[in-house]
Amino acid sequence: MVSSTNTTIVNERPHHTLWGDAWIRLRRNKLAMAGGIFIIVLTLAAIFAPLITPYSFAHQDLNAILENPSSKHWLGTDGLGRDVFARLLYGARTSLAVGIFAQLIVIGIGLPIGAVAGYAGGRLDNALMRFVDVMYGFPDLLLVILLKAILGGGIYQLFLAIGLVAWVNIARLIRGQILAIKSREFVSAAHAMGGMGPYITWRHLLPNSLGPIIVSITFNIPRAIFTEAALSFIGIGVRPPTPSWGTMISDGYAVIFASWYQVFFPALAIALLMIAFTFLGDGLRDALDPKMRR
Amino acid sequence: MTALLEVRNVKTYFYTQDGVVKAVDGVSFNVNRGETIALVGESGCGKTVSALSILRLVAEPAGKIVSGEIIFNGIDLLKLSNEEMRKMRGAKISIIFQEPLTSLNPVLTIGRQISEGLEFHKNMSVREGMQEATRLLQMVGIPHPERRVHDFPHQFSGGMRQRAMIAIAIACQPQLIIADEPTTVVDVTIQAQLLELIRNITKELNTALILITHNLGIVARYAQRVFVMYAGDIVEHGKALDVYHTPFHPYTAGLLGSVPRLDEPRKTRLQPIEGQPPDLIALPAGCSFQARCAYAIPECHKEKPPLLEISPSHFAACWVSQKGSRSWQK
Repeated sequence: MVSSTNTTIVNERPHHTLWGDAWIRLRRNKLAMAGGIFIIVLTLAAIFAPLITPYSFAHQDLNAILENPSSKHWLGTDGLGRDVFARLLYGARTSLAVGIFAQLIVIGIGLPIGAVAGYAGGRLDNALMRFVDVMYGFPDLLLVILLKAILGGGIYQLFLAIGLVAWVNIARLIRGQILAIKSREFVSAAHAMGGMGPYITWRHLLPNSLGPIIVSITFNIPRAIFTEAALSFIGIGVRPPTPSWGTMISDGYAVIFASWYQVFFPALAIALLMIAFTFLGDGLRDALDPKMRR
Repeated sequence: MTALLEVRNVKTYFYTQDGVVKAVDGVSFNVNRGETIALVGESGCGKTVSALSILRLVAEPAGKIVSGEIIFNGIDLLKLSNEEMRKMRGAKISIIFQEPLTSLNPVLTIGRQISEGLEFHKNMSVREGMQEATRLLQMVGIPHPERRVHDFPHQFSGGMRQRAMIAIAIACQPQLIIADEPTTVVDVTIQAQLLELIRNITKELNTALILITHNLGIVARYAQRVFVMYAGDIVEHGKALDVYHTPFHPYTAGLLGSVPRLDEPRKTRLQPIEGQPPDLIALPAGCSFQARCAYAIPECHKEKPPLLEISPSHFAACWVSQKGSRSWQK
């Protein structure tokens, strides 16, 4: 605490909050930190893409198609003479936006439903969870394709389609967490002090399940990114000329024997981003586990 | 003077797969304003369930208060709506749980947990609540309260956590505090400190206290009256010192005999009560203690003994004592 620094106290101990502890443990995990740094660098690069590359993602130079990597075009050009590096950077915008905004929708739907089901229990819980089971029974990608067909093209529709399918996982997770924590004594204590149900859910139950929720989100982001890439690969993701790593792979696939790097670089980008999120998620899971506290 | 709390013939049952567990089966007791009473008995005798019944915090849907009246300040708590009952909890009646670590939320600061009740019942802002929390921590004897108020439960020692629990319980100046074995999980040196603290605070705030314990030694020192529970029922009650010195029920005597006493010469071995408490699903006919009682007479197997006044304001539910024969006593 800041206030304690200028008072002289004999038995001063380091003052760590729960999150402070987790951060210390996360910092010790090199893979997780590498993953986190990669994600941050990629995010910054995506945001400041115009400052990094002079090329536009849509500009076609028909005099320079399928060029090999050079000092002019770092990763070469594609079949329409567009700079691959620029498209990769702008494509990161699509991927990260899908990853993050789809998760916001997932949380927006999954958190209230999971919390209500877990707290209320009984028939309401039963009804909500049977609905979740039905959703769970469908193959995810098929459902996203179906929703995309109903909602129409565009990147916002893509967020929504992925979010509307993926929320069931987090709803289940949150319900399970709430059920487990609900029976803990401090929840009875909060009731004994006159706490209201919604207040107790928000103030006592959810903060105690935050760790697993954060970990789950970290693992779900790459899944959403992969779904977007898959959809764009089969041509129902984002609309051209908006660049997407999936579209780039799809385009490059046609010319794979002429220039293999058309497929290689976007595929590498997807792989690296997914590994980065997985490492970060693993690290967070260990860091936020209270049993790891020493 | 009417009693602050009057528990009348309360029955709290748990409906399980194996049958109905009669955890509390017709318990009656009362607490006067500012008085300390003790509920005594071994594990599983219904002490805690009785306490939770007063707050209406028995785990539903399995547990249910089947019948009885709990009159608090002239109002039957069992007839209140959930919302009215919620306004009672913490504000008028509060509870100190047995296990302070699990009763504190690990991710909230101690200060926030103390100020919670003040925010619920006294419309305080978080800032005002935290100031009051600092004052309360000072009152329960936590050093550097202005700094400690921002600590998390895992940064407190066991004794300090229980002090924080006391601070939470007294925050809204309730008229009744229920202390459910408040000293069981701390070591003996801290036990005495905590009990003194609870006694001083209840005296200062003129708060009534229900002390739940299995230690009759504590009872004699801190409570004015004592109610001994066995198998969901009260088997003996009276002034704490009377019960301590001349128990009328063999069970009470057994409890006393199984606790080391410093006021008697160490020539006798501790006498444990043999056997196990009866199955609360299938209570035997007659006295529930008969199977473990060395002095049982035929009546004990036929009919359950009523609580009768054996000497002034000292009641016991025992056929042997009521017949005037106290041959079982030392």
